[in-house]
Amino acid sequence: MRETYGVLLPGIDLADLTGKLIVIEGTDGVGRSTQLNLLRPWLEQQGHAVVDTGITRSELAGKGIKKAKEGHTLGRITLTLFYATDFADRLKNQIIPALRAGFVVLTDRYIYSLMARAMVRGLDPAWIRSIYNYALKPDAVFYLRIGVDDLIPRVVFSRGFDYWESGMDLHPSEDMYESFRKYQSSLLAQFDTLAQEYDFEVIDASADVRTIFAQLKLGVARVLDGRIRERPAALEAASSEKARPAGSPVIEVKERIPAPVAAASEE
Amino acid sequence: MKRYGEHRFPGKLFVVEGIDGSGKSTQIMLLNEWLKSEGYGVVFSEWNSSPLVRDITRRGKKKQMLAPSTFSLIHATDFADRMEHNIIPLLKAGAVVLCDRYIYTAFARDVVRGMEPKWVRELYAFAVKPTVAFYFRVSLEVAMKRILVGRNGFKYYEAGMDLDLSEDPDESFHLFQGRILDEYEKMIAEFDLMVIDAALPIEAQQSQMRQIVRGRLTQAKRLRVAP
Repeated sequence: MRETYGVLLPGIDLADLTGKLIVIEGTDGVGRSTQLNLLRPWLEQQGHAVVDTGITRSELAGKGIKKAKEGHTLGRITLTLFYATDFADRLKNQIIPALRAGFVVLTDRYIYSLMARAMVRGLDPAWIRSIYNYALKPDAVFYLRIGVDDLIPRVVFSRGFDYWESGMDLHPSEDMYESFRKYQSSLLAQFDTLAQEYDFEVIDASADVRTIFAQLKLGVARVLDGRIRERPAALEAASSEKARPAGSPVIEVKERIPAPVAAASEE
Repeated sequence: MKRYGEHRFPGKLFVVEGIDGSGKSTQIMLLNEWLKSEGYGVVFSEWNSSPLVRDITRRGKKKQMLAPSTFSLIHATDFADRMEHNIIPLLKAGAVVLCDRYIYTAFARDVVRGMEPKWVRELYAFAVKPTVAFYFRVSLEVAMKRILVGRNGFKYYEAGMDLDLSEDPDESFHLFQGRILDEYEKMIAEFDLMVIDAALPIEAQQSQMRQIVRGRLTQAKRLRVAP
């Protein structure tokens, strides 16, 4: 049966939530939207009903966050709680009803991105975890992992630097490039820690779109068939950057292309 | 992130708590007037007043979009904005900050709405511990009599209609306030609330308050010599 990370919200019966909750995580510009745009029709072709959701898409708080961020005046605790409100609204009004109706819920990021951002901003990790401990444990988290050197050309050549994606609230004296590097590097370090703690399935996002999609399809099909994740020792080692010698590629990919679709930022 | 009880500032923070009709707003207004006349730099911070968040809360309430979780989180967001941009800088500057309702209001309401007590307390862990938190203790009957004079019709969340306690707003309000009162009573010992008997005459309550506040004003800045 489905579980939460600790606390159960009033009025929710976990036994009713028969759908599947699949999370795609990854930093800004890594290609999550591109993959989600491929996954949805693929799932529907196979007869699954799909609902998708993502950060700031709540009816309650989505517009408010965007508006407040334009002014760059949000404090870090306020920003964190604003996102938590948006998440709680989507959980209650989008994710839970869809799971109850037996849908596949594809979510573009989940609590982990929100936790990583808050921790990079110096907030207490125990506090952050407790704020999200009513969240449902997903059936799988696919983490599109990329190094900062591979990330920069994708972001720069598609949509340019964004104030928040560059963590300019943290390094106001730096230029956007330096700030982006610093901010995304610390974000990626937080993701690596979370990947271990929450058992993400790591996918090398520096590969080309087709290779990534092929891996995602395998993973998603396994979740939908109710099969348990197989983790042979060799694969396990390959999926962890720390476990392999520096410089050895995870997958042999000769052709490397920038993100093909300039994904609209939800920032 | 500093946690409750870890903050150290030259300013002072006095808050009033109690159910609707306890008379807390009248008392803090009188305290405000007195402190100003004594020459202190006094600033008032109201519940639900963050310019960034207030409109969202208002819309959510009007459209009845709020679940217990989002009701709790949107109020915490509003409070965080006031804490980060208003209350903490003022306390650093040595001001006397007065709050009509504080985190204990959230603890009472959110728990009555079914959120876990421990979760709600952790949510507000970033809050500054008040210099003194006054709790205006009053029986439900006395409070209801005060409110129902000159009030017609309660709003949906104000009456706790989302809890399905009763179809009738007046009755729902009554039941809801009773439950909130129970939560306040539990918090007296937990948070060392300063209990004021809100059935006493207004002047007697104010005189007690001033006596307690006077003893806690060291380090707070005076703007000028008292007139």
